[in-house]
Amino acid sequence: MKRLKYVLKRVLMAFPVLWLGTSMTWYVIYQGPVDPATNLLSSQERLTEAKVEAAREQLGLNRPPLEHYVDWTSSLFVLDLGQTWLIYPGSNVGALVVDFLPRTVWLGFWSVLIAVFVGIPLGFYAGVRSNTVADYIASISGIVWRAMPNFWLAVILLSLLVGSESLLGFDWDTLLVDLPSGVTGNPGLSYMAGDPLALFTQPGETLAAIKKILPAALVLGSASMGNEMRIGRTAVLETKNEQYVDFARAKGVSNRAIVWKHVFRNALIPLVPIVTTEAFLLIGGSVLVESVFGINGMGKLFFDAAIQGDLPLVGSLMFVFIVLLLVINIVQDILYTLIDPRVGYDAN
Amino acid sequence: MADSRPVSDDSGPTSQPTAGGSADSEDEPLLVVDELQTTFYTDKETIRAVDGVSLDIEAGETVGLVGESGSGKSVTARSILGLIDDPGRVEGGSIRFDGHELTDGSWEQHRGDLSIVFQDPINSMNPVYTVGNQIREALRIHQGLRGQEAREEAISLLEAVGIPDAPRRLEEYPHQYSGGMRQRAVIAIALACDPNLLVCDEPTTALDVTIQAQILELLDDLQREEDLGILFITHDMGVIEEIADRVNVMYAGEIVETAPADRLFDEPQHPYTRGLLASIPGRTAEGDELPTIGGEVPTPTSEPDECRFAPRCPAAFDACERIHPEHVDVSSVGTAGVETTDGMSGAEGTRGMEHTAACLLHEDRFEQSPGAATFEANGGDSQ
Ligand code: SF4
Repeated sequence: MKRLKYVLKRVLMAFPVLWLGTSMTWYVIYQGPVDPATNLLSSQERLTEAKVEAAREQLGLNRPPLEHYVDWTSSLFVLDLGQTWLIYPGSNVGALVVDFLPRTVWLGFWSVLIAVFVGIPLGFYAGVRSNTVADYIASISGIVWRAMPNFWLAVILLSLLVGSESLLGFDWDTLLVDLPSGVTGNPGLSYMAGDPLALFTQPGETLAAIKKILPAALVLGSASMGNEMRIGRTAVLETKNEQYVDFARAKGVSNRAIVWKHVFRNALIPLVPIVTTEAFLLIGGSVLVESVFGINGMGKLFFDAAIQGDLPLVGSLMFVFIVLLLVINIVQDILYTLIDPRVGYDAN
Repeated sequence: MADSRPVSDDSGPTSQPTAGGSADSEDEPLLVVDELQTTFYTDKETIRAVDGVSLDIEAGETVGLVGESGSGKSVTARSILGLIDDPGRVEGGSIRFDGHELTDGSWEQHRGDLSIVFQDPINSMNPVYTVGNQIREALRIHQGLRGQEAREEAISLLEAVGIPDAPRRLEEYPHQYSGGMRQRAVIAIALACDPNLLVCDEPTTALDVTIQAQILELLDDLQREEDLGILFITHDMGVIEEIADRVNVMYAGEIVETAPADRLFDEPQHPYTRGLLASIPGRTAEGDELPTIGGEVPTPTSEPDECRFAPRCPAAFDACERIHPEHVDVSSVGTAGVETTDGMSGAEGTRGMEHTAACLLHEDRFEQSPGAATFEANGGDSQ
């Protein structure tokens, strides 16, 4: 019960953060040194007084700031994200996000998952067998893997897969699941539109979408994989020296049960914030990988909007990112409460 | 002479434990530690943390192991339980439990027969499992109990160690317990293993005085009910006085004095023991400052060819730097009676002697040493 209360408290606490983040975004975008209206005309159009005035009118900038602020934030809170000006001019930002966000989430999800399911077991294994040859091999390859820059890894992997037939002896495009569109491009997620359960009911489509995203996810998750491995190894080493492990050993608990029951669960605790922090970095910072693999995701959209000066779009996307961050934070709190019973308990 | 050292009689049969084992254990104490050597290998040096320790414990008896921190008490405890990890190793000597040799790696067969209670109860329990889970784990392994049966046994164990409202507390996590309750719960877990020997490594040090007294009382009750042998490790002479039947005083990896508790407190023979006793409040004249032993316990890194206490010993004389003192029978020193001086022998010969001390002052050849005279004159005797 205490833990449920803790999670609820954290969810409630997310709202002030959301409000604060949104307000700061509004301030930077609409009260900042750059008038958003002046940028909203593409290079072909002539910048005239009248056109700028029209844009200001449309953005509501001719109204008193407070009124504009209330108007803007409240429309965001009801998920009315406004319209774009320079990127896909005139389209609804909400629709754009619905289109782009799933790709980014799909990419982020799989890169987190791959990192977690490769990095943590490898780190735990190295920690359990510390200072053996297996540990050294795992640790060193983890460090090397982590040290490889994203963009370099992306390019190498891309060229390997594109030339897989001659280089590796099999054709990646037709391996297991057919990918008619090749290695790069967007994963086909549209089959899930309006029916999220299609994820399970249409396994063929799901497999294809996974295969499509796999190279990008692997590259994107590579740094976190190395991180998680390193921290997982340390966590196991530390937990192994805890007194309760000795006590369990004195109790006659088998080695296998000591590792799986007593060590691993405790070693997971320091990994939770690592995984969730990285999850946000992945979702926000995937511009490079999205560009190399030709995936139209949120990272790329945000990057283009910022570069081209579509400030209203930047503002709306910021809001989406803040929401994502808060969701990840709440997932982190839920994970904590599942793993560690001490969370949310204050001695009184 | 020979009858004062019965060790030679029973070491024969115990070297080949028979299937029953009980015949052997009748002549032998529950636990016999003989010349135990535990060494830690670090990059810089080898540390002889336990350097030739011998002690024994009978069923139903509480044996104290006392010394300053760093003297090797905890390593002795961990060695007995087979909990020495890299870079440490039990290198020599023997640990016989109930007639079975443990040092050849057969700890696993005797897990639970020897149980341990550590100093810090919060670290002894796994924070992510309920207390009940951890008791039931031991019950399953050692008594084959599962489900409802295990639950009931766990409840009665918690009640036995004096935890009220046991059914509810069973489902709580260690952090929800108070310090004293935690240590009771740890004792309950240790008891769930159905041990014959309980090693208590400073079990009350982290607790405040009233709770400390309660825990000591609990251990005392449990011992009487279950006929437990207890090895009680502490740096606190006051606690030892309360609980121990016999006492071993440890210094820098070695036992320097062994005696029945009353005898040790009345007639301490080793200068180190005297120093420890002098530092108990209430044993020095009122108003006087508590005397302390200056300096720290040295880290033993090589085979001793001197007395390791010499740098801090108020009675040290020149031979102390050259000769490593052996245990000498001092049972009759200080009491009216015949002095037996034939006890000068290796440590393996000390079993059966009531009171021994490893100090050159008690060896015949140094009886007239100037150091001894100074020692007595300086009031090294704390009485
Ligand atoms: S042997 Fe010497 S130094 Fe050691 S305790 Fe005895 S008198 Fe002191």
